[in-house]
Amino acid sequence: MYAQRVSLLVNPKLFVFALLFSSIAVEAQESIKVDKVDFVQEIKPILAKHCYACHGPDEAEAGLNFSTEKTAFAEAESGHFAIIPRDPEGSAILERVTSKDEFERMPPEGDRLTDSQVATLRRWIEQGAVWDEHWAFKPMKDVPVPEVENQDWSKHPIDAFIYQSLTQAGLQPNSSATPAALLRRAYYSLTGLPPTAEQIKQFESDSTQAAFSKQIEQLLQSPHYGERWGRHWLDLVRYAETNSYERDGPKPNAWKYRDYVIQAFNDDKPYDQFIAEQLAGDELDEVTKETLTATGYYRLGIWDDEPADPKLAIYDELDDILTTTSQVMLGLTINCARCHDHKIDPIPQKDYYSLLSMFADVTSWGHRGDQRSNNQIDVSSDELNERYQSNDKAKRDVESALREIEQEGIAKMSAPDQRATEGPRKERQKIIDAKLKDHLDPERWSRYEELKAEQKQVEQETRELPPREMVMGLARAQKPEQMHVLQRGSPHAPGEPVEPDFPEVFGSPQVELASFKPTEKTAGRRRVLAEWITSSDNLLAARVVVNRIWQFHFGRGIVRSPNNFGQLGIPPTHPELLDWLALRFIESGWSFKQMHRLIMSSRAYQMSSEIRETAAKVDPNNDLFWKFDARRLSAEEIRDSILLTNGSLNENVYGPSFYPQLSREVLAGQSRPGSGWGQSNEADQNRRSVYIHVKRSLLTPLLTAFDFPDPDLTCEDRFMTLQPAQSLALLNSEFVHQQAKRLAKSIEMNELDDAGVVKETISSVLSRDASEDEIKLGQQLIRSLQTEHSISRERAIELFCLSVLNWNEFLFLD
Amino acid sequence: MNCWKPYLEETELKMSRKRSDFCGRTRREFIWQTGGGFGAAALSSMLGQDGFFQESAASDSISVNPLAAKPPHFAPKAKSVIFLFMYGGPSHIDTFDYKPTMNGMDGKTVEVKTFGRGGHRKGGRIVEPRWKFQQHGECGKWVSSLFPNVAKHVDDIAFLNSMTADSPIHGSAMLMMNSGKVLSGSPALGSWVNYGLGSENENLPGFVVMLDPAGGPISGAKNWSSGYMPATYQGTVFRSNGAPILNLAPPEGISLDMQRQLIDSIQQANKTHLSTRVGNDDLSSRIASYELAYKMQSTAPEAVDLSTEDEKTKTLYGIDRDETRDFGTRCLLARRLVQRGVRFIQLYSGGAHNDSNWDAHGDLELNHNRHAGRTDQPIAALLTDLKQRGMLDETLVVWGGEFGRQPTAEYAKGSGRDHNSYGFTMWMAGGGIKGGISFGTTDELGSQAVENPLHVKHLHATVLHQLGMDPNQLSYFFGGLNQKLVGVEEVEPIHQIIA
Repeated sequence: MYAQRVSLLVNPKLFVFALLFSSIAVEAQESIKVDKVDFVQEIKPILAKHCYACHGPDEAEAGLNFSTEKTAFAEAESGHFAIIPRDPEGSAILERVTSKDEFERMPPEGDRLTDSQVATLRRWIEQGAVWDEHWAFKPMKDVPVPEVENQDWSKHPIDAFIYQSLTQAGLQPNSSATPAALLRRAYYSLTGLPPTAEQIKQFESDSTQAAFSKQIEQLLQSPHYGERWGRHWLDLVRYAETNSYERDGPKPNAWKYRDYVIQAFNDDKPYDQFIAEQLAGDELDEVTKETLTATGYYRLGIWDDEPADPKLAIYDELDDILTTTSQVMLGLTINCARCHDHKIDPIPQKDYYSLLSMFADVTSWGHRGDQRSNNQIDVSSDELNERYQSNDKAKRDVESALREIEQEGIAKMSAPDQRATEGPRKERQKIIDAKLKDHLDPERWSRYEELKAEQKQVEQETRELPPREMVMGLARAQKPEQMHVLQRGSPHAPGEPVEPDFPEVFGSPQVELASFKPTEKTAGRRRVLAEWITSSDNLLAARVVVNRIWQFHFGRGIVRSPNNFGQLGIPPTHPELLDWLALRFIESGWSFKQMHRLIMSSRAYQMSSEIRETAAKVDPNNDLFWKFDARRLSAEEIRDSILLTNGSLNENVYGPSFYPQLSREVLAGQSRPGSGWGQSNEADQNRRSVYIHVKRSLLTPLLTAFDFPDPDLTCEDRFMTLQPAQSLALLNSEFVHQQAKRLAKSIEMNELDDAGVVKETISSVLSRDASEDEIKLGQQLIRSLQTEHSISRERAIELFCLSVLNWNEFLFLD
Repeated sequence: MNCWKPYLEETELKMSRKRSDFCGRTRREFIWQTGGGFGAAALSSMLGQDGFFQESAASDSISVNPLAAKPPHFAPKAKSVIFLFMYGGPSHIDTFDYKPTMNGMDGKTVEVKTFGRGGHRKGGRIVEPRWKFQQHGECGKWVSSLFPNVAKHVDDIAFLNSMTADSPIHGSAMLMMNSGKVLSGSPALGSWVNYGLGSENENLPGFVVMLDPAGGPISGAKNWSSGYMPATYQGTVFRSNGAPILNLAPPEGISLDMQRQLIDSIQQANKTHLSTRVGNDDLSSRIASYELAYKMQSTAPEAVDLSTEDEKTKTLYGIDRDETRDFGTRCLLARRLVQRGVRFIQLYSGGAHNDSNWDAHGDLELNHNRHAGRTDQPIAALLTDLKQRGMLDETLVVWGGEFGRQPTAEYAKGSGRDHNSYGFTMWMAGGGIKGGISFGTTDELGSQAVENPLHVKHLHATVLHQLGMDPNQLSYFFGGLNQKLVGVEEVEPIHQIIA
């Protein structure tokens, strides 16, 4: 199902040219838009809030229902029409909402419409009462790439879209970033690590487009690419390795899911396959260790081992999965319809439970008595399984042979002894040890002793077998029970029964129950769900994911609310570009790496981050991408970069998580200090941050200070705060002092004079040459620390190193 | 006047508080609440300034502390909160909920529905309250001999005798008392307060947690997490010994002078860097954050330095006695932090597990004598001290645990009581709360709330209300919903106890 791929984007240059021919200029519609009432933004909310209660999806009093176009324009039971396009006087709705008669006036209860709301309603009717749909609920449109009158900005489709929106606002894009800034940007974008000074110099000597493409290729081949982009996914799926609550118990083998994600990015696993494996890795045509590991997706959430309301807890667990799936893969907050119809988006409560039914065979993480069977899958190799099996058989054989001889002897024993052998095993063994030999002839006895030795041998072999290989995932599914709409979300108040289905808003045909192909253990529903999400005509899946790719390059999505494409989300700044990208993404076979090549080869990506006052005045939030937004490094990038500057970063990829050393003060916050926190050797502690053990109740302070997200809920976009706790961590923490010491050592300070020390430090930390000024100031600092505070030169240099690690230039990307 | 208003209401001329809840909010709110790719400076500025009402463009901002003080919804009664968290769950019928009919019933079997660690039960053996009760104050409140000193303040206290919570299990019950939800991942009460009001003292954290020397409570940092809000609003653990805050003190051998020199050098480099990046507010914000950090290094140690307190005060708090030294010290620190503008301070009585906190499953007497003995005098001292300094009016003191305890014995033998979330007592004093009253009741055994039952959300609503915030308006858009501390349905504060 995922084997055939069309490689449309293999050579971005070729297809750029191809598209140029089909470009059609899109007319600017600025003037029309100004006064036009936006149905979705302005009218629908009024209807939803003030009218739906009686004339909406649940109730249609007087035969009137304002929630669909057809019913809103239909003749009411009274014979009147509520809305008559272009005829405000004839439209009953206006008459009723403005009526002075208490019995006539609508709404009969609650707040009246304000004058401005009435005016808006009137204008909308005057303008023809266009019943528009929310942009995201309309199919993707393959808009031709616009033709723009700028040679440089017309070559690349992305640039053409961007340039067009800029010129419409009278803006010009920034010029290109310096080669050094661009290379640093690309390195961090793709791997989360900086280039070395030498790599930058080399690029500066040849920074042509071709040279840059080569750099991108190299970075995309680096295993660190998966670490960086995998971490984005881990944020979204709220990856953690414990369950939260009182015991915050471990999720064994969760790290294998993390490695699966990193590997998937490194392999450029097509996104549709990536999704299918996570949602239905146990239901695919070919179920492998890898696809089973992917079902770890279902095991990442919080889990209360002693919930006060066990029934509710089951639904909370499922809700957590539905919330994550719908926001992450579909960009919709379907979770809002758990207790009532979604107030804004057209998602009735029924749709929530229909979608929930898709997950009805998903078992809970476990229960207090058994916290493994549901979530640990044995994926041992056939060979190992055979060895275990043959061992088991050998063990059984020898045991039964032993027993046979024992029984021969026992049969000859006294009655009380015989009885005793029928009692507890211990009693039986006592009798056998003491008396068996006396009741067997020597030949049998020696056979017995042989068998005993054999038994020992087999047991020894069993012990020496490699352990069975387990992964975390959906180890057990369950038979789905009939799902009901739960009134006010309460499992204690089931309402009408519902069948598994997709939300109406997608306009997909109803799911036929026959399309479910149950497997031996599963209901076959999740596979159907996965296929639906990743079908090329799904309204949202591709848009949502390309928006994220854009977001992680540019610092924000084309839609700034990446988990919410609904009507409460933020509309796209470049809707046509978004659709264009989404369609190219599908054509490329849902390839992330192709999308990186495409995006990063654009001028838009390569622009400088300079803030031009004139442009900033017109577009302070850079809605139109006239510049590239500078950014602070993420928590992981900061920690990893510090380790890299002094050469101690352990670049090993994959494997179990490690435990960074936490101070006593931090552990003191636990009810059992140190509980659930292991000790890792130094080499492991120097690994990249993505491998840090994520314990829900004990997140690593250095990471949280720099906005590592709380892993209980999906994180669509990390905060980027700048606060004193960060400065304190980089000035005073044990970690940073240790690293500064290593940095001083790594530059071989004792072989250098102070000027040399400054040069080397700046080169290591900032990947560039030090300026004359910096050398002078650095020398001064090193000297005055020694003279004024009587510390050694070595110590002074360490502190100088520490200071450079605190520079904004190190922590920010242009 | 409120910018948390749903976006539908933006176009309306008048505001009504009685609206049904609606999953809407302004686009701007959404932007700053999610980050939305805006720079951190713009974000913090929006968080700081735009917070409640003003319409200010994102670009207006230059380095603004996200904890900058923000105006409340209406004139507040209280400026700060001290939450005395009796972790483990003190027994209400042995402290502030007098049950005279239980006298003489010890050992009798009764039918009573209970739900605790041991699951649902239909009855059990009564454990008669183990301490003598006496009437106190003008109000005549019955208080047990566990709290002889607190008893002297009953005329300043409003007792909530009919508290209930959703869970009688520590893990989820702690989360509920601290964040209003039994599910993990939501911001703590202290985070909400700081999000809503900011901090008056930018050199100190706005939400301080002080732990029992026995250890943290179960779930540790989850109890003061800011959940889906930025970490700016999470609780900061303050220690009474050594450097009060993590990473606050430079390592040994580095004096503040030396550090100043380092910071000057860093700032010089940062300013040079900024000079070629004019207009980047994030860079200037980060420059400012070093100055804040530096000021914190002197402000925070000063706040915990008790050498300026006189002996009389220290004796009042019981700092001269082994038994009360620790909690007394922390109560005194709490008062000092309030004086320095810290909004929300949470003190834990009890930590770790079993009898190291109020979780009296085994020997009720041993357990409660221990923990009441350690806290009674310091708590009374705190009330006395706040009052005599004229601070009690503006400081809301909250006392209680995550639940109460059952009237019946947990085991065949002994006096241990299991958890009880069907009915328990908490109390509030100061900050515009009426004194000398008891609100709500439990049944004759204290097994469940009967009259005017209160839920944790009412307690939270009251705290927010006293601080000048409308609990039904203070919201944070996350996951497609206007999240509120008190939940989606409208909740009234407990008007009956508000002065």
